[in-house]
Amino acid sequence: MTQTFDTSTRTEAPLRADEVTALRGFLDYHRDTFRWKCSGLTQQQLAQPHAPSTMTLGGLMKHLALNEVGWFGHTLAGAAYPPPFTDIDWDADPDWEWRTAADDGPVELRALYDDCVRRADAAIDQALARDGLDARSAEPSSKDGPFSLRWILLHMIEEYARHNGHADLIRESIDGMTGE
Amino acid sequence: MSDVAADPRVDPPLHGDEVTILRSFLTFHRDTLRWKCSGLTPAQLARPLPPSEMTLGGMMKHLALVESNWFDSVFSGVDLMPPFDTVDWDADRDWEWHSARDDSPEELRTLFDEAVRRADAVVDEALTHAGLEQESARKSRHQDSTFTLRWILVHLIEEYSRHNGHADLIRESIDGQTGE
Repeated sequence: MTQTFDTSTRTEAPLRADEVTALRGFLDYHRDTFRWKCSGLTQQQLAQPHAPSTMTLGGLMKHLALNEVGWFGHTLAGAAYPPPFTDIDWDADPDWEWRTAADDGPVELRALYDDCVRRADAAIDQALARDGLDARSAEPSSKDGPFSLRWILLHMIEEYARHNGHADLIRESIDGMTGE
Repeated sequence: MSDVAADPRVDPPLHGDEVTILRSFLTFHRDTLRWKCSGLTPAQLARPLPPSEMTLGGMMKHLALVESNWFDSVFSGVDLMPPFDTVDWDADRDWEWHSARDDSPEELRTLFDEAVRRADAVVDEALTHAGLEQESARKSRHQDSTFTLRWILVHLIEEYSRHNGHADLIRESIDGQTGE
């Protein structure tokens, strides 16, 4: 079983939109781009790096799932991490999500990812209803105080786009598939 | 990060109005590209990470074109900046990627910096008249619609981020340098 993605469901961010619609549109576009780049691959292909980098598409999927619940669930909303990210000793194993992804099947990885995106969107909806894009995060940064939701959304867009750049080259090295 | 001293980037502020945050993220990613391309010889700038054909030199020239295309051509409705204005694009759609190998590192950086300077001047001028809702002079080639300045700025951030993801892996393969 591999993950599937219907590229016809991926839509560009609307060209003339208010700030919230534009930012969420770009974020969704990159989430779907990432799903597409990981689709149709076996567990072994998802665990295949493009040397000398050690990144893998499976590791990226688990890493981005963690980022979704980390930034939107934990930092923005102050929520606890959902399984399987609870009870990890991150100090002892800082790359846990990258390392353990090789043991997960494609469908399992995608289900985790989709669940984390759903949780993230619920946290965004709540924050927007409360304070809009100036909403302040429940958890502050280590040195500069709380984050604004505006900053977190843009950060996630650049985080996804950069990782999709990695995914472009990793995917091309696996089976030759390219495309924006 | 093998050379922290060569990294002059400023993190975008965690709070701010939309214009400030968007422009800060864009500047951060322009500087990330400069950093990823710095300290390399002409041969290193022309070295791909197969099977992809992308090179760091080509990417620098491509992003100079991207800047001029969005801010000169699409938003302002004027010609591309030199040397892009006189290229026979029908003869080689990827001219900027291919011709970069004939340019010195200094020439590539000068061209890139000039493209950024012109783009910033366009944005500065536009923002003295109106806000991010103002629309481009030219329409999308795919949809019967103009672009807002907001869309163009967020698009540039994701375009740079994605190419910086490519640059991460290419740079690591050239001399082992990594870092966000």
